[in-house]
Amino acid sequence: MRKEKNLKPMLSPKSVAIIGASRNPEKVGHIILQNYIDAGYAGKIYPINIDATQIMGIKAYRSVLDVKAPIDLAVIAIPAEAVPEAMEECGKAGVKAVVVVSGGFAEIGKAGLQEQLALTAEKYGMPTLGPNCLGVMNPRSRSDTLFLPTFKISRPEIGGVSFMAQSGAVGSTVLDMISGEGFGLSKFISYGNAAHVDESDILNYFMKDKETKVIVMYLEGIKDGKAFMKIARKVGRAKPVIVLKAGKTRAGSQAAHSHTAALAGDYEVAEAAFRQSGFIIAEDISELLYYAKIFASEAQPRGPRVAIVTDGGGAGVLMTDAVASSGVLKLAEFSPGTISALKKAMPPLVNARNPLDLAGDADGRRYAEALSILSSDQNIDMLIVIVLFQTPGADSALAAKLIEYKGGSTRPMVVVSIGAEYTEMHKRMMERSGLPVYDSPRSAAAALAALYSYSMFRNRKSLSAP
Amino acid sequence: MALLDYMEASKLLGRYGMHSIESRYVGSAADAVRFSDGKPIVLKVLSGKALHKSKAGLVRLNLSGRNEIEAAYRELRRKAQPLKPYKIIAQAMSSNGVEIIIGGRDDPQFGKVVLIGLGGIYVDLFRDFAMGIAPLTRRDASGMLNQLKSRQIITDEGRNSAELESLLLRVSRLLQDNGSIKELDLNPVIITKSGYQIVDIRILK
Repeated sequence: MRKEKNLKPMLSPKSVAIIGASRNPEKVGHIILQNYIDAGYAGKIYPINIDATQIMGIKAYRSVLDVKAPIDLAVIAIPAEAVPEAMEECGKAGVKAVVVVSGGFAEIGKAGLQEQLALTAEKYGMPTLGPNCLGVMNPRSRSDTLFLPTFKISRPEIGGVSFMAQSGAVGSTVLDMISGEGFGLSKFISYGNAAHVDESDILNYFMKDKETKVIVMYLEGIKDGKAFMKIARKVGRAKPVIVLKAGKTRAGSQAAHSHTAALAGDYEVAEAAFRQSGFIIAEDISELLYYAKIFASEAQPRGPRVAIVTDGGGAGVLMTDAVASSGVLKLAEFSPGTISALKKAMPPLVNARNPLDLAGDADGRRYAEALSILSSDQNIDMLIVIVLFQTPGADSALAAKLIEYKGGSTRPMVVVSIGAEYTEMHKRMMERSGLPVYDSPRSAAAALAALYSYSMFRNRKSLSAP
Repeated sequence: MALLDYMEASKLLGRYGMHSIESRYVGSAADAVRFSDGKPIVLKVLSGKALHKSKAGLVRLNLSGRNEIEAAYRELRRKAQPLKPYKIIAQAMSSNGVEIIIGGRDDPQFGKVVLIGLGGIYVDLFRDFAMGIAPLTRRDASGMLNQLKSRQIITDEGRNSAELESLLLRVSRLLQDNGSIKELDLNPVIITKSGYQIVDIRILK
């Protein structure tokens, strides 16, 4: 039975020691300290450096043992050989959690050094992240161990999506992309070699963390499959988990003696574990974001029936195709009440059927009228609103109408807008107000299908005990 | 990995409430005829050296009458000479129906895994299968059936669902209880009007 590791001091520390803080701007320890200062971190900062007494205007210490005050988090950014001793000192000083950003461990064959790190962490009951990782970021506590300068990678706003990544490179890429989305970030954890804290510990922490509404994970391997499965089963029923796992292609041929073994390779089994836990499986990085966006909206679908409203006939047909091929969603049939109300309110060229084509001259008013008629139709469970901002009537006033409508509606609703700068501008405007915008019919359909499938998974009753 | 003796494997399944098709080793052509007792039978060569029996021509189906059974027995015995040690098993002829595979394996990461798929020996071709990590709950088992494109065929429009779920749960329990089992194939299992028939078993320890 594994012990639960408390990651709260790691993500929301009241005080941080930066071991390897340096005046030399080329050192990782310098960038980390700089970032803590730039982010406006409100807790205590203790730079640790053997030679300096002051760094960037902050009093420095030779060792964490000299600080003589509680330290929640120690960030270690020194050469690998010196890490075990620094860890030992952290343990003695009663540090509550450690992030080892330094590389030079198992990834270059030094498994022994890594083992030593794990043992020290275990000995002092001190949750330790890494080594060889970017560490953590929490926009709320403004704790940020990422040694990437802020001009290279934008930091996302505060939101409800928490993201874990084994790889620092994929981690920072996705983080950069999240900063361009409207939904914002709750916590980011890059866990590298997972010597002590692994994906199961992080999943467990995200499950219990109240600020985390949606969990996104990028995995390469799984350290302890059985522990993972145990926690995955619980977390999948509690919160939506979106997962991207690398390594689909099987390297080399395995000698399998049965059909089952030939079919059930590493990726397939991991995928089965995800499915069984109700996780949403993404096939690439862009899908991670599509799914995160819809789940971050916290919309609850009542059923799979979709109404499509559009200002372009062609886009409406493409959207209908995407809905049909999702295998999950259905095109809603408008009620007789809706049809007669639409006929009365809409200009004659608008056909009162789904997909509802409002025509190329549709403006905010026409959209608002149509949506208000659809809102009382019990045959509709979800809404897809296509706005092609290239058309004459589509402008900021229309975007504002959609935001206003979304505010008063409980049904899941997404916007599909395809285009360049003018579209992008409105996309940001709508997303900042919590209205998810997709850049293709296919991604919008996939997102709503995942939302509905997950709600089905969650509501499915177990028939009986095994 | 070693192949568990067929009759042992069949007994093991029986202890978990899974009944495989009536089978017995036969030591001679006459013995095979006695097993038949006037009904059509199947003869198979079992050998650790030939894991894919039908591809190797080591299975003869739907044999009836003394002459046909004796001729088939002698032919199989001749083909089996290079595969020593071997045994020849006689089985009742199975009913017609949709062929599926039920499987299990010991995954290095997740432990015991249960599989169900369409196709019997053609499962590699269709690749319509679903897996679950043991121990399975009934909810997991029903989720697995739902993942299959062929679920309507396999479950006979849902009429067989409960029975197939139970079968998956039994396999899950068997794998959990018997740690040394590395791989298991019940292949094919034939879906019949009255339930299912396990026609071939392969358990590797």
